[in-house]
Amino acid sequence: MIPELGHIILITFLVVSFVGGFLPLASVYFNNQTLDIPIKRLTFFLFFLIFSSFLILVYSFLVDDFSVAYVAQNSNINLPFYYKFAATWGAHEGSLLLWILAMNAWLFSFMYLAKSPDKNFMKVVFSISCQVMFAFALFTLLTSNPFERILPIPPLNGSDLNPSLQDIAFTVHPPLLYFGYSGLLIPFAIAVSAMLFNTNTKEWAAYSRPWTLLSCAFLTLGIALGSWWAYYELGWGGWWFWDPVENAAFVPWLLSVALFHSLIASESRGVFGKWSILLSIFAFATSLLGTFLVRSGILTSVHAFALDPERGVFILGILGFFVIGSLLIYSLKDFTSNEVKAYELSSKEFGFLLNNLLLVILAVSILFGTIFPLIYEAITDGKQISVGAPYFEIILFPFALALGLLQGMALYLSWGVTASFNFLQRLTLESISLFSLVLLVLFILFDNLYLSSFATIFLACWIMVGTLQISKKRNLSYWNFLKKRMAVTFAHLGMGILVLGVGVVTSYSLEKELILAPGDEFNFGDQTIKFKSLEDTQGPNYFSKLANINFEDKEDIKNVITEKRTYIPSGQLTTEAGIITEPFQDLYISMGDNLEADIWSFKVQIKPFIRWIWLGALLIAIGSMLSGIKRIQRS
Amino acid sequence: MNKFLTFSFLFLLTFGVFASTDRVFEFEKEAYPFDDNIKEDLFYSLLNELRCPKCQSSNLAGSNSPISNDLKREVYELVKEKKTSEQIKEHLVERYGNFIIYNPPVESETYILWFGPFFLVFIAIFSIIFFRRRHAL
Amino acid sequence: MKKLIDILPLFTFIILIGVLFSFLSNKNNQLETVLIDDTFPQFSLSSLKDSSETLTQYDIKKLPALINIWATWCIACRIEHPFLMKLKEESVLPIYGLNYKDNREKALELLERDGDPFEFSIYDFEGRLAIDLGVYGAPETFFIDSNGVIRERHVGVVDEDVWKKKFAKYLDE
Repeated sequence: MIPELGHIILITFLVVSFVGGFLPLASVYFNNQTLDIPIKRLTFFLFFLIFSSFLILVYSFLVDDFSVAYVAQNSNINLPFYYKFAATWGAHEGSLLLWILAMNAWLFSFMYLAKSPDKNFMKVVFSISCQVMFAFALFTLLTSNPFERILPIPPLNGSDLNPSLQDIAFTVHPPLLYFGYSGLLIPFAIAVSAMLFNTNTKEWAAYSRPWTLLSCAFLTLGIALGSWWAYYELGWGGWWFWDPVENAAFVPWLLSVALFHSLIASESRGVFGKWSILLSIFAFATSLLGTFLVRSGILTSVHAFALDPERGVFILGILGFFVIGSLLIYSLKDFTSNEVKAYELSSKEFGFLLNNLLLVILAVSILFGTIFPLIYEAITDGKQISVGAPYFEIILFPFALALGLLQGMALYLSWGVTASFNFLQRLTLESISLFSLVLLVLFILFDNLYLSSFATIFLACWIMVGTLQISKKRNLSYWNFLKKRMAVTFAHLGMGILVLGVGVVTSYSLEKELILAPGDEFNFGDQTIKFKSLEDTQGPNYFSKLANINFEDKEDIKNVITEKRTYIPSGQLTTEAGIITEPFQDLYISMGDNLEADIWSFKVQIKPFIRWIWLGALLIAIGSMLSGIKRIQRS
Repeated sequence: MNKFLTFSFLFLLTFGVFASTDRVFEFEKEAYPFDDNIKEDLFYSLLNELRCPKCQSSNLAGSNSPISNDLKREVYELVKEKKTSEQIKEHLVERYGNFIIYNPPVESETYILWFGPFFLVFIAIFSIIFFRRRHAL
Repeated sequence: MKKLIDILPLFTFIILIGVLFSFLSNKNNQLETVLIDDTFPQFSLSSLKDSSETLTQYDIKKLPALINIWATWCIACRIEHPFLMKLKEESVLPIYGLNYKDNREKALELLERDGDPFEFSIYDFEGRLAIDLGVYGAPETFFIDSNGVIRERHVGVVDEDVWKKKFAKYLDE
């Protein structure tokens, strides 16, 4: 009964979103008051509908209603309740519901928080958003209904949630990521509306900027969480694999960063109007594209959902409709040129232009590299190729270098023209000083300096110095400057810290594969590893072989556990790594195979500075979020 | 202060880069024992670059499937035989095709992949400079 | 010129969508076979039945032939087994087995119980010959022509359908 209710609510949502996608537009176009509907209340109603539908699905999971096919496929009686809750988005159908919920949350926030005197503009933004939500709801109901039932005899127990998803990170990573992806709907709708009304660039950029920033913040958090999760879950100690699905999230992130930078220039100086519109469209497009890539089955990936080309066609259709539609408007529209002040090559505007150029080309390259194996197979008639980490890292490096150098200088640039570049000399010297300090610290900590890390570490220092020392230019103390420019300082500083983490962990990591029996010791770096004991334990839905390990160095002895779990009923194995977090490094050990008797293979690693990567990302997210919230309050 | 740091920086650069601590190897407990750093580093970097042919999307380092373990052993033996990185990759490509290396080869069909990004940057910069007079953006 | 630039994003995107659509219809789930037209690799491994007997590539005398990769842990191989027996009974062409990373006793038991379609089976416990063949699982089947050259390879179960589509044509040469 209750799942049927969820289904009916979803159908109601479909109808209401259709009305919402059509009537307000018609009332504006035909200038007809009778077609007008209260869009704010409608937004609330839509949100209420989808939230209820989602809640019903969650409820079905929590009460173990295995008559619902989706619950039966993704849950189990013995699953801990928090995983039952998260299992709602554990597979394709439920995750779509989450997508729609997220889009609604954004629209709801926008309609109630954004202050725009132009009612018609808001109506068009509302309508376009409704159209997108309608498309998703249609897709869900026609091909991916989460409320489908197994009747008349429901199974007594479910198949279980994929064991590698049974982890705390799973409860937060997908929602954050989806909120990031779907948030780009608002800038998209604003851009299309701006085209239709020929809105003044400074005006619409001001509307769009906070929402772009907030989406970016969520994407940053979602991606960083994904990276952290992969690190401790997959057991090989890596934190970014350039997996197609990772790339599918990274590309919209790059474009959203490019977008809000472009919007800064658009809002302040009225430049890049057409470009910001294009970027808004493509940021949302790549976000939809990411959804497509994960569910269509054309790319093999650890992440890929249950594959179905038919669904791929539908998503591609949605993507095609909205993007081609908006690009058609773009092609046909006559953009009245706003009065735009000229800018020199030395200006802040040009800096933003370079920033955008680099970010967008990087994004295009990553996207292209991700789908290239398919293109290659087509043009060589069957030969196969892999494009992975080595390729992406080689391509990324020059772009990251250029972007980083730009970022360090960015705050020193002025609108129109930058009077003097004298700051460069000081910036260079101070960066070198910080660089030497960092090298000194690294040498004290790790007894080694690696030439391969120098460029990245110097870049990090350059970014950090550039971000902080700008306060000197304004004759402010660090603290006063921070209060005035908190958001950008956090964000740029965060990037510097992230780059430092990457630079150190890439060159300073140590790893080894060991074969140990209980009682064995091994010297690794400055640690002595002791395999203390092997135990048999179990959890709510798994059996485990648990290895008790000690890491001992001059200072103290640290204990950690690594496990090999066998989940019931799927029989799937997972490896739980044992990680000790120290201020400057992670000690990492994971179980491999049981070779014979009690002898196991282990992979042990030392990962210096790895936490700084996620710390940096967190700072970036905080910075973006601060800026977004501040601007919403201001508008 | 700056001078001190600059001086210590130069000192560190010269000293630190060349003073690499020797690793201690304990053969019985290592799954893949080597007798020098260079071979060991080569081995582990290859494991990151080579793809597990059976897995959906994983490198050899991240996979414990039987074929991955066999391939790790194969790479290990080749590294011990003092083969270079190129030779080892060649050896595997002869058997499994280009699919098995994550670094795509540079050949005529992949020129667009390798040179595309830089070509785009070039075109973009060129266009900007060319169109600057018109304030097109 | 200005209008042309405005149409460019639309044009590029339509191409992208078209390309992605085309990818949806392709469904290839096999690793490409690089060894086509190469001679069968050299090897020196023991025979499954007699651990003291060493087999090499020269022992594959009756050509053309099929080389079948199999193991007791491979469930799909049991599905394939009857078809291989049929090929043997009808004397279509000789089949040589490569017992892949298996337990000798269990393997011999299986052949005893279900029948032995192979001229002989090579005992590749460590999977070395398998690697030289680019094998990554079981079952897999190779076709070798009368000159000992690999002409075709199939990953997965070989049944009547697969035989007709992929292998039968090589017999006519």
